[in-house]
Amino acid sequence: MKEITKSIDGPETRAIVDRLYEVGRLVFFFATILKCTFSRPFYFMRLVDQVRALGLGSLSITVVIGLTMGLVMTLNFGYGLVKFGGVLYVPAVVSLSLAREMAPIFTSLLVAGRIGSGMAAEIGSMNVTQQVDAIRALGTNPIRILVVPRFWSAVISLPLLTSLSCFLGILGGMIVCQNEFGMPAGFYINKVLDTVKIHDFLSGLVKSGIFGAIIAIVGCWRGLSTVGGTRGVGESTTWVVVTSSIAILITDFFISKIFLLIWGH
Amino acid sequence: MQTILELNNIHKAFGEKRIHQGINFSLHKGESLGLLGGSGTGKSVLLRTIIGLERADSGDVLYHNKVISKIKSEVELAKIRTQISYSFQSGALFDSLNVFDNIAYPLFEHTKLNFKEIQHKVADVLKLIDLEGIESLMPSDLSGGMQKRVGMARAMVLDPEIILYDEPTAGLDPANIENVIDLMLKLKKMGQSSILVTHDIPSAIRFCDRILILKDGKIYFNGTVPEFTESSDPNILKFSLPQGKEATHAS
Repeated sequence: MKEITKSIDGPETRAIVDRLYEVGRLVFFFATILKCTFSRPFYFMRLVDQVRALGLGSLSITVVIGLTMGLVMTLNFGYGLVKFGGVLYVPAVVSLSLAREMAPIFTSLLVAGRIGSGMAAEIGSMNVTQQVDAIRALGTNPIRILVVPRFWSAVISLPLLTSLSCFLGILGGMIVCQNEFGMPAGFYINKVLDTVKIHDFLSGLVKSGIFGAIIAIVGCWRGLSTVGGTRGVGESTTWVVVTSSIAILITDFFISKIFLLIWGH
Repeated sequence: MQTILELNNIHKAFGEKRIHQGINFSLHKGESLGLLGGSGTGKSVLLRTIIGLERADSGDVLYHNKVISKIKSEVELAKIRTQISYSFQSGALFDSLNVFDNIAYPLFEHTKLNFKEIQHKVADVLKLIDLEGIESLMPSDLSGGMQKRVGMARAMVLDPEIILYDEPTAGLDPANIENVIDLMLKLKKMGQSSILVTHDIPSAIRFCDRILILKDGKIYFNGTVPEFTESSDPNILKFSLPQGKEATHAS
């Protein structure tokens, strides 16, 4: 009996309870964001600024990742399928995997590295230099001012960036198919349009919106709980990139499963 | 004298460490209180508790006889924070905003003034702190003393009834200390009540009407400046005597 009590009260149990407590705080934080979103005062111009900073600022990285994904995937699938005479299936395979999985996942992971760490660093620095306290002391709410605009800008920007990344990936695939396998552009485009249904594309967009929410919640929450000066800020940025990447990958499995149940295979 | 702020039996602990163990005092209209005590005795925490940045474990903070320490409504808290403002030790200026936007921030948030009126108000406040024409500078372009004064300007721009000063002279050279205390005296003359947390005893003596000493989580001394300077209590002498004279006095 003593052994059982000891194991229940042990450090492992406490670690699990701490983790669950942290998840609970994140859920509560998300609820507060939603509450602040739908009640006055609104800070629309801050949202516009954040969309500009997070969305437009991530354009170059999105162009690179989108195009590279398409080029590399097509090259590998193409030479793999050529052995079995299946090169004609390359447009279908590439476009479907890009629309459903690769574009949302890769864009989100890269953007998590860029904007998630940026949010944690910016808000974390404000926290350790008492600027967040100053926002409160001046009778305003840091969630409304700092978090809500970042949250919605991530939710809006990521699907747009994912669309761009997906489009550029398919374009990259077309370039490789045309030059490496002699496939006419018209044929490639027809195959893509035949294969990718609107729900495939939509599932990618919805996923990336959810990933955007995850990045913003994790980044802002950690930023607001940063302590310990510049070292604390450094630890927060690393934590945010790792945590949001893991959360994105795990969430992706469940969302994919849900979409497959809704729309079939 | 009318009591405007009252602290009743405030208790606060961080984990095992008990910072406040029954703090009681009151602030009267137009009065300046100096809050002294060793490092880590919870002076700044007390200021943060007054304005609601920290929650007391027990006890009440009353403002005009209304308990404000248990307010949870965002709107109510915002109203209180326009009346009781906090001047941070570091200034805590928003480093992404220039001086104008920093000072104008509370005006944009809590008043219906138009942009022109806000410009005038900011210019007036900058004139009061003798820093005219620096509206477009960023906080990183300012010296430590200037940052503190701009922080104070931001705290006073809404004409609050009480200003809480958290070590406004810490880390400043004598000339800047003079500037900051002169500014605080100007505001005092305009009728503002204040609580000053400081280790700078000469400034406290110059500025305050009453001195409180925080020791072992309680108010150890609460008296006027003459009572403070003339006390023979060794625990008070530690604060009231210039460095080096304490030993002579004891002998």
